[in-house]
Amino acid sequence: MRKYISPIGKEGLYVLDTASWRTYRPVMDKEACIECGACMSFCPVNSIYRDQEKKYYISYDYCKGCGICANECPKDAITMMLEGEGENE
Amino acid sequence: MSYLDVLSESKDLVTPGMSACQGCGGELILRKVLQISGENTIIGIPPGCMAGAGVVGWNFSNGLKIPVHIPLLDNTASLLSGVTAMYQKMGREDVNIIGLAGDGATADCGFQSLSAAAERGEHMLYVCYDNEGYMNTGFQRSSTTFKGSQTSTTPVGKVKKGKKENRKNIPMIMAMHGAAYVATASPGHMKDMVEKIEKGIAASKHGFAYLHIISPCPTGWVSKPECGIDLAKKAVKSNYFPLFEVEEGVWRRTVPNPKPIPVTDFIAGLRKFKHLGEDELAEIQEYVDKNNELLEKLTREVS
Repeated sequence: MRKYISPIGKEGLYVLDTASWRTYRPVMDKEACIECGACMSFCPVNSIYRDQEKKYYISYDYCKGCGICANECPKDAITMMLEGEGENE
Repeated sequence: MSYLDVLSESKDLVTPGMSACQGCGGELILRKVLQISGENTIIGIPPGCMAGAGVVGWNFSNGLKIPVHIPLLDNTASLLSGVTAMYQKMGREDVNIIGLAGDGATADCGFQSLSAAAERGEHMLYVCYDNEGYMNTGFQRSSTTFKGSQTSTTPVGKVKKGKKENRKNIPMIMAMHGAAYVATASPGHMKDMVEKIEKGIAASKHGFAYLHIISPCPTGWVSKPECGIDLAKKAVKSNYFPLFEVEEGVWRRTVPNPKPIPVTDFIAGLRKFKHLGEDELAEIQEYVDKNNELLEKLTREVS
């Protein structure tokens, strides 16, 4: 039996390099993080993920640099830095 | 399982790089809906921001990792009715049928098919991301655009000051259809939103489920991209967008708001409301209070 009646693109997934849009990059201060998960749940691009030990990490592969994570962090543990400045983890 | 576990452990079924604007509320809603519904899903996305952002694909490539249809602007619900009928006939009730449309494709063009599908009780979940206008084509007015908004078809000049009419209250209209589940949600209240999406998917197995989610639009509303979630929270706190759910005819306020903030606090940062004077702001406050009173009555009398 066919699993789906809807078509799926034969050339696979359409992926855009949205990381190139970024002017500011979010940088997380792991010491100040209280692991509340606000950044992960509000990130529109799902660029923040949680590992097995419930620690949060930012992935820069597709982050558009909107700044929602930095704005919503209750402890201000995320700061927006100009691309190319500051330390990259 | 807490909502954070749900969000961190479920697979993201949307392409990682899609061309939605920075801080897009619609993208956030699409990702969360599909994360919760899982891989066993078929989605219909009519023309609008999400379809335009590459989710329905270009040429022979897909923007989602699941099957996606692009119906016309006005037949999302009827196309999905057909898909539902097909899957019911095949004995595949486990497949989630989801429609995700903007407010134009829900409240204006698509309302006829939506209303008919709700009346027939088709087994599907219909999600509307309400950014209060036709944002994909440059912010034209829709019927959920708020009174006083400046849009490209209700401009501000010497005579006219934005949209003159009040918005259409779609969630309440849908609740009056007697649908199995109707709720409003806001991405600012993520726990509540995740629960409502879960409930909506469960209800779509035995009837029509409708979710109305406010989607802050930094490009159309002209706000800073980082303020989107802040705006979604303020919209709820000011009763501009109250959160409630209607389950089998029982109305319930999911996020009670005993001390609402004035609507001006929400409106302050938005350019689309920048031209409003004191009289117009008072009118908006009056409408919001009236709407809230009606909701209070509905939730009180039943519960």
